[in-house]
Amino acid sequence: MLVRRTETDDPNPPALSKDAWIAQFSAPDPALRRRAVRALDSSAKSIDALIAQLGEETAPSVRSAIFNALSNAATPRAVESLLLQLRSEDAALRNGAIDALQTLPQLVGPHVERLLADPDPDVRISAVSILSALAHPDIPKWLADVVRRDANVNVCAAAVDALAEAGDEAAVEAIAALPERFPGVPYIAFAVAATVRRIKGL
Amino acid sequence: MTLNVPVYASKTLASSFTDEEYAKFCEFFYRKTGISFNGKKRYFVERRLLERMAEAASASFRDYFGLLRFQASGTELQCLVNLMTVNETYFFREDYQFEVLTNFILPEVVRARRQGDHVRIWSMPCSTGEEPYSIALHILENWARADEYAIEILGSDIDSRVLEVARAGIYGFRSLQRLSPDVRGKYFSKISGDSFQLRNEIRESVDFSLVNIIDPLHTNRYRQVDVIFCRNLLIYFDDASRRQAVEYLYECLNPGGFICLGHSESMSRISPLFGPRKFADTIVYQKPIKEGLGP
Repeated sequence: MLVRRTETDDPNPPALSKDAWIAQFSAPDPALRRRAVRALDSSAKSIDALIAQLGEETAPSVRSAIFNALSNAATPRAVESLLLQLRSEDAALRNGAIDALQTLPQLVGPHVERLLADPDPDVRISAVSILSALAHPDIPKWLADVVRRDANVNVCAAAVDALAEAGDEAAVEAIAALPERFPGVPYIAFAVAATVRRIKGL
Repeated sequence: MTLNVPVYASKTLASSFTDEEYAKFCEFFYRKTGISFNGKKRYFVERRLLERMAEAASASFRDYFGLLRFQASGTELQCLVNLMTVNETYFFREDYQFEVLTNFILPEVVRARRQGDHVRIWSMPCSTGEEPYSIALHILENWARADEYAIEILGSDIDSRVLEVARAGIYGFRSLQRLSPDVRGKYFSKISGDSFQLRNEIRESVDFSLVNIIDPLHTNRYRQVDVIFCRNLLIYFDDASRRQAVEYLYECLNPGGFICLGHSESMSRISPLFGPRKFADTIVYQKPIKEGLGP
């Protein structure tokens, strides 16, 4: 039978100090740890605590809440902390950081050239992944520069894929030259043809 | 072909886009909103694209796509989403999901419950009430075990004006056109030429409330929900807000609870926290019964 909901007590979190909330990260119940994540603010102390917990956390829902909290904080410290996750061995952490960074174009912009020059090709691939969905006017130029200069075939392939959506006519020459740099990689020739077709709209 | 007029000055242009342009747009729009257009909707999509291109004074598809892709505010994308989506609401809209509710979801939800236990269903956003009331009527008419449980139906929206309309429960014939004459006669009273009011006991059984889905002070009041109908709402949010909303919905659900999205929406583009479940030809999303460890 249909019954009208009987009002329950307001379950809003209690007023605890920042330290008390941070201490809740050791609670065994993921729901309590998520509540602690949401109770923290965007101060440096909170950001550092969230990042420290990210390294320890195993529950996907708590990790997701932490990434959302860092994205919402939208501070330079939060961005720098997220960028460090790009070097993680844990793919879920890297992907969570990429998703969060994609929501912060103005704060990520100043870091892009440094990321794309990183000696670790996995970091450069992650950087290209960020650019693939970042709303920033310099994306076509950054991605075209990757295609022009990066020596790693996987980084270039990721950039070509991203250019299919974000590329413009100015990038076509660099993209079209790529098969000559990697003549033994059939995927590059295929991806280049598809991306040029997509950019030209033909 | 590439559109080559300087500015789209008319909404009645009959031009079209190349296959590559159309595919590029569809892939982008899906990534941003989770809405997937198939080939059959091409005319519908192109007409609306042309309309927005004219409004934005874009000289070509390329120019307009650049605006959509790189505009930090996302304003133009929002205008396009508004145009691409239908804000119509009426009784038993997309009722195949209500069939799934009574044929599959509710039987699974009550499997471990005793008679008299509560079952909580939340319609968010509920607009003027057609959806939560449709859920109520569908359960009464189609779920034989409805009397065994205390079924709570909640309706929430961010707009207080639509909630007032919902509480009044008065609808025109257009809203009721998908109801059979039997159901209409059983649950509605005619109050004037084209106005019908839902019976008191149904109206009073649904709890309507004002909720901003991305405000935890609001959503904290909703816990132990078994099924959430959140259809055609998340498409209006930017990426960050969409993830935040889904995080809060996750918190509202019981372990093993379900979310029903709009027919063209997909949770897989938003969050990995829910598992897809296929019932009949419909995909709904389920919160894990027990959260596993990270990969």
